[in-house]
Amino acid sequence: MSAQAVLLCLLLAPLLQAALVLVFSRPPGLRDLIHIVLSLAGFVFALLLVGAVLRGETARIVFAQPLPNVQLAFTPEPLGAFIAVALTGLNTLHAVHAAGLARASAESAPARLLAFLGLCTAFAVAVALSANLLSLFVSYQALILAAFPLVAHRGDEESRTAANTFLATLLAASMGLFLPAMIWTYALTGALDFRAGGMLAGRVDQLTANILLVLFVLGMAASAMPPFHRWLTASTRAPFPGLVAILALSVLPAGGVGILKIVAFVFGAAMQDAAIASTALIVLAGAGMCVAALIALSKQDIRERLAYSCMAQSLAVVMGALLALPAGLFAAALQILALSCAGATLLMAAGTTAIITLRTRIADYAGLGRVMPWTFAGFAIASASMVGMPPFAGAWAKLWLITAAAGSGLVWAAALAAAAAILTFAHLAPVAADALASRAPTDAFKRPDGASILLAAPVILSALATLSLLVLADPLANFLAPIWTPQSP
Amino acid sequence: MDSGLLEIARAHAPFLVVIAPIVGAAAIIAVRHAGVCWLIACLSALAPTALAFDLVWRLAESGVAPLAQLAIATRVDGVGAAAAAVVSLASALAIFAAGALLGERRGPETHLVFALGLCMQGGWCGALYARDWSALFVAAEGAWLACVALIGLRSEKDRAALNGAMRMLISGGAASAFLLCGLAFLMRALGDARIEALAGVRLAAPAMAAAGASLALLALAAKAGVAPLHAWVGAALGRAQGNVALIAGVAGLAGALAVMMRVGAYASVDARIGPAVSTVLALLGAASAVIGSVQAIGATNVQRMAGYASGAQAGCLLLGVALGSPAGFASALVQLLAIMAGGAALVGAMAAGGAKTLADLDGYGRRAPLASAAITAAALSFMGAPLTIGFLGRWRLVEASVGAGWWWAAGVVIVVSLAGVFYGGRLIERIYFKRVSAVQSSEFTARNALLAPVLVAAIAAIAIGVAPGELLRLAAGVAAIATGVGP
Repeated sequence: MSAQAVLLCLLLAPLLQAALVLVFSRPPGLRDLIHIVLSLAGFVFALLLVGAVLRGETARIVFAQPLPNVQLAFTPEPLGAFIAVALTGLNTLHAVHAAGLARASAESAPARLLAFLGLCTAFAVAVALSANLLSLFVSYQALILAAFPLVAHRGDEESRTAANTFLATLLAASMGLFLPAMIWTYALTGALDFRAGGMLAGRVDQLTANILLVLFVLGMAASAMPPFHRWLTASTRAPFPGLVAILALSVLPAGGVGILKIVAFVFGAAMQDAAIASTALIVLAGAGMCVAALIALSKQDIRERLAYSCMAQSLAVVMGALLALPAGLFAAALQILALSCAGATLLMAAGTTAIITLRTRIADYAGLGRVMPWTFAGFAIASASMVGMPPFAGAWAKLWLITAAAGSGLVWAAALAAAAAILTFAHLAPVAADALASRAPTDAFKRPDGASILLAAPVILSALATLSLLVLADPLANFLAPIWTPQSP
Repeated sequence: MDSGLLEIARAHAPFLVVIAPIVGAAAIIAVRHAGVCWLIACLSALAPTALAFDLVWRLAESGVAPLAQLAIATRVDGVGAAAAAVVSLASALAIFAAGALLGERRGPETHLVFALGLCMQGGWCGALYARDWSALFVAAEGAWLACVALIGLRSEKDRAALNGAMRMLISGGAASAFLLCGLAFLMRALGDARIEALAGVRLAAPAMAAAGASLALLALAAKAGVAPLHAWVGAALGRAQGNVALIAGVAGLAGALAVMMRVGAYASVDARIGPAVSTVLALLGAASAVIGSVQAIGATNVQRMAGYASGAQAGCLLLGVALGSPAGFASALVQLLAIMAGGAALVGAMAAGGAKTLADLDGYGRRAPLASAAITAAALSFMGAPLTIGFLGRWRLVEASVGAGWWWAAGVVIVVSLAGVFYGGRLIERIYFKRVSAVQSSEFTARNALLAPVLVAAIAAIAIGVAPGELLRLAAGVAAIATGVGP
């Protein structure tokens, strides 16, 4: 199969998945099978794409040319291919979990839920593989629109209000900040195609570079950069499968990937011209990490706590990207993987717990690990990864982040990252410890049979995925090297 | 024989584009049978539309189109010809769609809906092809009065229609006085009644010419529903019947805007009066964009919302004209098409399900999936979402304004887009995420026949956004003619 065909299949598989799930919504067995098999197919295509990139093959799919010199195009560069593998791989596990959860909770509209999960995956992968700023923008907007129904899924007044907040915050930031920055970039360069080394390098003055960086970073509100982070708490109204998709597998990671691509391919060497803005944004991201982790500590609802925890992790991606050193970009890429693995594990575990035991308050988690050992083993591993404990993925990401911060002379940034890690420990470790060490509750299960394999296996497998960087970190550094190596003109 | 007739028709295209709808209207009044009237109306609207597009095509290709000279003198210029094609198309779609309501709302005035719609089409096209200022005035007034009559057609049965028509008449009457004064100033300053003289003659009194052009533009703005001169929009469109709102609110507003574009195109490129006219257009455009957006956010009646949203989009169009550059005119033409497509899709899709207010849209996605898809396309276009014609128009405008150093205009465009997110998002939320009440469900009547033109508009809003190459080429071609840099 050529790289071109693989890329097309990877982009279309989740869309096909969404369509088929809606068409074959009954019987449930067929619907779930389609959902899982096509998720797996997406993962296989992503692996094949990585293989093609490793062999040096190139591909480019052009869907439209909405502007002169600007195409709606997708291409597999190393960063995009890496993120596509991570997201589709975890999405396969989540597909199994979501199908199980929809059955266990007797979900009223399971086909619609699964279809929009598929669409979110499709557009998150499209963000990662976008070949230019316009394609990134289009995919990002489509992702927001696809995630909106997940937040509004319950259909009650509270969900609709939350969904409106979600949509308004993300779309307003992208239309009001990102779009002007994109048009400005087009006016400066006459093109929008991504280029290793930065398309703005040597083409902008310092003032323009600073303003553009602020517009791009704040406009990509999916990264949860304050002050455009209200969508994150609004998204907790989504059912658990939707929450997993939004916080761990699509919207939040897409925000991180977007910023990483902008820093690497739009600014590149021009980041030196935007030093003032990047320093200010690093301060904002660092302070945001600490405050988000602190707020998480105050939240008693597991969804809200995990949402703020994921926000802190996402801001670490932004910080790494803004450091603009190879080590920083690498840290940001690792951090996206760490966030996705650990976030998906924690949220899937919380979802399983909510459905099987009807417990969503943290105080009620005590002792649940004794009756749901696999689920809470996964929860504990993912918590350790979020905190940054070796040998889990979060540790390597934070190590590189702190190294990059120190390397660029921003010791205070390294200190902020470390402080956020300590606060993450404070809001996650006691939950896991209490669940595993306390006495088991006598009335743990709503369902007499406990969690089925569909709900337990994905949690533990995604938790194990946090160990992947033990063996993959070094090859990954070589694989991703082209993104921080400028192309010769 | 047939090709000979076709060549004659092509040679007389401007004349036929103006006169065919008016002849059709006369025939309708003679026939009176609703079904036959609709057929005549469709033919009288569609045939000139085809001729108008053919003329634009020829103009964009070669810069000139060989035309026969007639006693009724016409002047074909790039912006006017392109705008006439868009207005004819809007009118043809609206008249075709209005036929869907024949079955249930047939009354003694039914045939008049078509006749007045055709008169309006002919009038606005007449103003767009007029050679003289006086002809422009007569044609524009004829079109406007047809529009007023259309709104007031049901005034015997519905006081809201009378109220809307009266408001139109009052504000339109005042605007007509200003238009007459402005054109008189222009003719006096030019010493020539021909519109094209503005580009060629030595001006005896540039200040008077600038005042005249500005007055004329303000008067046309009042007829085009440009904020803040749009006092009639809410009353006239808010409670109008769906078919009337479609003809008057989409084709009528597009016509008035198109004439504004044409006058603005002549005035803003002239070095002597251009700066003053550009300032007036820019101020008007910015005000309309902001005020229209705010009002659209607050509107609960969707037809009214469409009127205000069109006003906001019209603000963007005027900013493009104010730039006075080929890029600006090209963006304005794209924007005109965007207003037409978005408005037709939104108002037509509402009419298809008999919906008027936001509350009527609850659960619309289940009751009328195709109409809901059309509303979604319109909402996305009004937002300026990528891969829609709305995005294309605004992108070209921002590009043109940034090129001219008008950074603030880019800010205005962003305000319009942000407002579009709010009111467009609200439409989508109502359609797909609110449950339909039992009362709404029982009252629902689908008018599927109306959907064909509505879907054409909705598909055009998306398809042009995805593959805009040909449209951009045409727009650039006719805009270059308008500014004198074309072939």
